[in-house]
Amino acid sequence: MSINDLPVLSALRTKMQWHQERQRVLAENVSNSDTPNFKPRDLVEPKFNSTGQAVGGFAPLSLTRTSAAHIVPSSGESASFDQNRKVGFQTRPAGNAVSLEEEMLKVSANQMDYAAATSLYGKSLHLLKTAIGKG
Amino acid sequence: MANDSSDFLRSMSIATSGLRAQAGRMRVISENVANADSTAAKAGGDPYRRKVPTFTSALDRTLDAKVVALGRVVPDQSSFRVKYDPSNPAADATGNVKYPNVNPLIEMTDMRDAQRSYEANLNIIGATRRMIQRTLDILKT
Repeated sequence: MSINDLPVLSALRTKMQWHQERQRVLAENVSNSDTPNFKPRDLVEPKFNSTGQAVGGFAPLSLTRTSAAHIVPSSGESASFDQNRKVGFQTRPAGNAVSLEEEMLKVSANQMDYAAATSLYGKSLHLLKTAIGKG
Repeated sequence: MANDSSDFLRSMSIATSGLRAQAGRMRVISENVANADSTAAKAGGDPYRRKVPTFTSALDRTLDAKVVALGRVVPDQSSFRVKYDPSNPAADATGNVKYPNVNPLIEMTDMRDAQRSYEANLNIIGATRRMIQRTLDILKT
């Protein structure tokens, strides 16, 4: 069993990847805050079972490339995490439903949760060091 | 995928496209404000026509993400302001001078809006940078 397979570390890693992906989705929302007919999007938070495996929601159904001439399938539409399209509560006359305040709130929450996940990751590594007697 | 390792950099590139679009919008607004009193060069001609910036959402293939871009800058078709001033070199036969259809109030509110969106995009870049810093901090533990 390699260090990366430890349940707590793999769960934290999935969580960090989710935050990274979410940051991209939120950046898209904010940069398109003046584009007509743009609907903001968000990601569904991953759920973990007792062994640290992410469950439900994201089993990616990727397109198979049978020839080198095929176009690489787009990962822009969230490669591995479910999208939550039921977001935004107000649509402006131009058809744009982005609320800058709401997006900024999500960005700061995303950043703080990411910080928490990285701290936990660092602490877990520290725990391993203690266990092998180098702490 | 070529971009999977640099997802944070993609977030930053998306926010940068927003910065660029808002800066372009600001340029059009300043053009309108600067020309608020420009009259025609010849007598009876049409003066400066207000320009309206548009935004489009485009798929950037190198980034594999939806970025925003400044679309076509379209002329505002509303009517010009007309003022009676026979002594003006741009006055037509009846002594009326056409002034641009620029309303400073609308331009100022548009400018505030552009500024607000610009700051929001800057905040995204700041937040993403702090997240990258946190990732690097794992190395220090």
